[in-house]
Amino acid sequence: MAQATHVQPDAAATAAPWQPRIVAFLCYWCSYTGADNAGTARLKYPPNVDIVRVMCSGRIDPALVTEAFARGADGVMVCGCHIGDCHYISGNHKTMARMPLLRRTLAGLGLEDGRFVHEWVSAAEGEKFAKLVRQVVEQVRALGPLDWPGRLRERGVGHGMDLERWREHA
Amino acid sequence: MSARTLAATETEREGVRIGVFICHCGGNISDVVDVKQVAAEVAKLPNVVFATTHTFVCSDPGQALIEGAIKEHALNRVIVAACSPTLHQATFRRAVERAGLNQFLFEHVNVREQCSWVSEDAAGSTAKATRLVRAAVARIRHLEPLDKRRIAIHPSALVIGGGVAGLVAARDLARRGMRVTLVENHPFLGGRMAQLDRVFPTGEKARDLLARVIEEVVRDPRITVLTDAEILDSEGIVGDFRTRIRINPRGVNEHLAYRGNAIAACPEETINEFDFGLSRRKAIYMAYPGCYPPMPAIDWHTCTKCGKCVWAVGGKGIDLEAQPREIEVHSGVIVLATGYDPYEPLYGEYGYGSFPRILTLQQLIRLLDPEGPTGGQIPVDNTARPRIGFIHCVGARQIEGVNQRQPDGKVKDYCARTCCTGALHAALTIKEHWPQASIVSLYQDIRTYGRGHEEYYEKASAQGVLFIRYDPRHPPKVEKDPTGQSALLVRVNDLLSGGLDLELPLDLLVLATGVVPHDISELINMYRCAVGYDSFLLEVHPKLRPVELAVSGVFLAGCCQGPMDITEATGAASAAASKAAALIAQGNVEMDPFIARVDETHCTGCQTCLTVCPYEAISRDAETRVAHVNEALCTGCGTCAATCPSDAIQQFGFTDAQVVSEVRALLTAARAATIA
Repeated sequence: MAQATHVQPDAAATAAPWQPRIVAFLCYWCSYTGADNAGTARLKYPPNVDIVRVMCSGRIDPALVTEAFARGADGVMVCGCHIGDCHYISGNHKTMARMPLLRRTLAGLGLEDGRFVHEWVSAAEGEKFAKLVRQVVEQVRALGPLDWPGRLRERGVGHGMDLERWREHA
Repeated sequence: MSARTLAATETEREGVRIGVFICHCGGNISDVVDVKQVAAEVAKLPNVVFATTHTFVCSDPGQALIEGAIKEHALNRVIVAACSPTLHQATFRRAVERAGLNQFLFEHVNVREQCSWVSEDAAGSTAKATRLVRAAVARIRHLEPLDKRRIAIHPSALVIGGGVAGLVAARDLARRGMRVTLVENHPFLGGRMAQLDRVFPTGEKARDLLARVIEEVVRDPRITVLTDAEILDSEGIVGDFRTRIRINPRGVNEHLAYRGNAIAACPEETINEFDFGLSRRKAIYMAYPGCYPPMPAIDWHTCTKCGKCVWAVGGKGIDLEAQPREIEVHSGVIVLATGYDPYEPLYGEYGYGSFPRILTLQQLIRLLDPEGPTGGQIPVDNTARPRIGFIHCVGARQIEGVNQRQPDGKVKDYCARTCCTGALHAALTIKEHWPQASIVSLYQDIRTYGRGHEEYYEKASAQGVLFIRYDPRHPPKVEKDPTGQSALLVRVNDLLSGGLDLELPLDLLVLATGVVPHDISELINMYRCAVGYDSFLLEVHPKLRPVELAVSGVFLAGCCQGPMDITEATGAASAAASKAAALIAQGNVEMDPFIARVDETHCTGCQTCLTVCPYEAISRDAETRVAHVNEALCTGCGTCAATCPSDAIQQFGFTDAQVVSEVRALLTAARAATIA
């Protein structure tokens, strides 16, 4: 039985006070397979992006993206099949229509451009995916922590009520 | 998403017992990710009753470990953190099922392709793997048992195309007990094969062979033959296709007694497409002697409804006011046998259309047919010693930059496979009737590849057919003979003589034309067929699945897939019938259960979901006025679930509760890590 190498936590990583947290919503047929492709090719990218798998990018409710931000994500990525390649014929057409609207809404809420990234990644584009992740992590790192939950609390959104309870009882 | 679903949090759920198995992948994962630490972290989470690591969870001992733990710890949810789910999700689902647990109470976490293989940052990757497993724990609490959908396969087939491939496919399917509907676009069965005379390699008459298959088809009570019928649209999936078909009126029924009189009385004439324009036919006509159905049909484009035919037969058996009717055919599988068209040379290509005495191979075959338009005579002025030339590879093996592009912007660069043997066969037929004829064959390569085909080449050589090989980059040039001693003059550079420029006076030139797919663009859109660069339909795999389309339940028979001779086309048709019958014999097909379902108590009937569904699987129930998902049509993309403004639609396996709790758990862990 191969022994697991016990690795000491990297000194630099623990010393760093903050690491960007990014959630990536990926469709199963193209982008998720594209991310697998990056792994198979051993392309490197920083471990700041956590992947959530859905069957089609059409399933990515804009509310999932706002939920991620509201829960403390510093950045969100949405990836799907290229237009014309959708496993479900036209699911990604809906994504294509929704995401620009969502981007404007997020901008209107004061979210910096660059925290929300929408890109098409095919099953063969492992290299594109790895490059995209590196780029997004860098730009979010440059923007610094978002801490949306903290900001909302600061500004008294929700009439000073505990936001959590307010939402659950609405 | 509503407050209802947002209530999903990372708290304990009663009765849920989760087992977590983290794979080393023999070091592929554990060299970077500290798997023991991940296991220790997740073991602390609510509902997790068992967490361990293993060198290879996918191995037999690894699977045995899962099965044993399920029994020992009474697990009712299983998480494996290993490679990508595309590799081993199915393996683990089977293991879980063997231990008596529903296979969809399993969650696969990808910590190899997403963690250890993409980062050398051990601490960061360990933290990431912990977050991902933690998210899976949050998500799996909300999983419910699901069943694979089983769709019963209707034991019937729809065969599109009534040529020899379609006929053979229909016959073979019916012999296995299937109900078959055979749809032919033309008023008569037989397709392109009916236009041939004698066929290689046996020399039998094509229409005699065809008559035997047609007889077998029409005699079989399980086969419904629809002629002059077109496919309007088709919906459904494998096992349950519903196809709307319009049957155009024949205008003639079985009460017609004096069909000869009716045809003779018709004053309207048009070009006879059966003879490739070499003859004319009436508006009420029979395609060929011995055709099926054995009664005339009316060509409504040519008929003026003057009524002379009705007069000639005493008013019985002809109805000029017949209307088309539409029917719906329910079938479990579909066989496409839509066939080919002969390549029609472009105007001026090798003099075609500009000079007389130039025929295509298909036209020559019609002329050599004793039942053809000339009773077997060929149009040559010099009957004593006719000089006849063949040019091979017309509309086949074309070269970009040398040959003129087709209207679709491409050149026909593939070998049409049938024309070499066909041309030699025709040359031998000419020699048989006119031994004094001198024949030259201008070719690139002779491809008489089939069994018994090479003999035609040897026989033609022995009988004095002169073979001249030309360079495809410098094809022969055809012009009118300036001396007037022959009809045509062909200039060609002969490679076999070391590059001599030859001038060949000819009385008749035959273009051995290739094969192009019959235009079925509407069917291609309807069934979302894959099409190759050569415009023929594309199989799933040329060797492993040669007669199946990527669309499940749709099969390919014959020349719709590429140039084939009759032997190959009937072979493909029988293969397609076998494949289709094997699928039907399964009784049902299994599909993933991740479909959408409407909560009728929350649906407001706004119908937004109807507009986004790519499969038109959602309809509005007239009675309840709420949305309803057709489970057979739903493929589980979840677009409707993301769209519903009332959150009344949930997608199994990807419910709001499941996905939201996954996102929250990822970020809770993030916050915890930041604080730490």
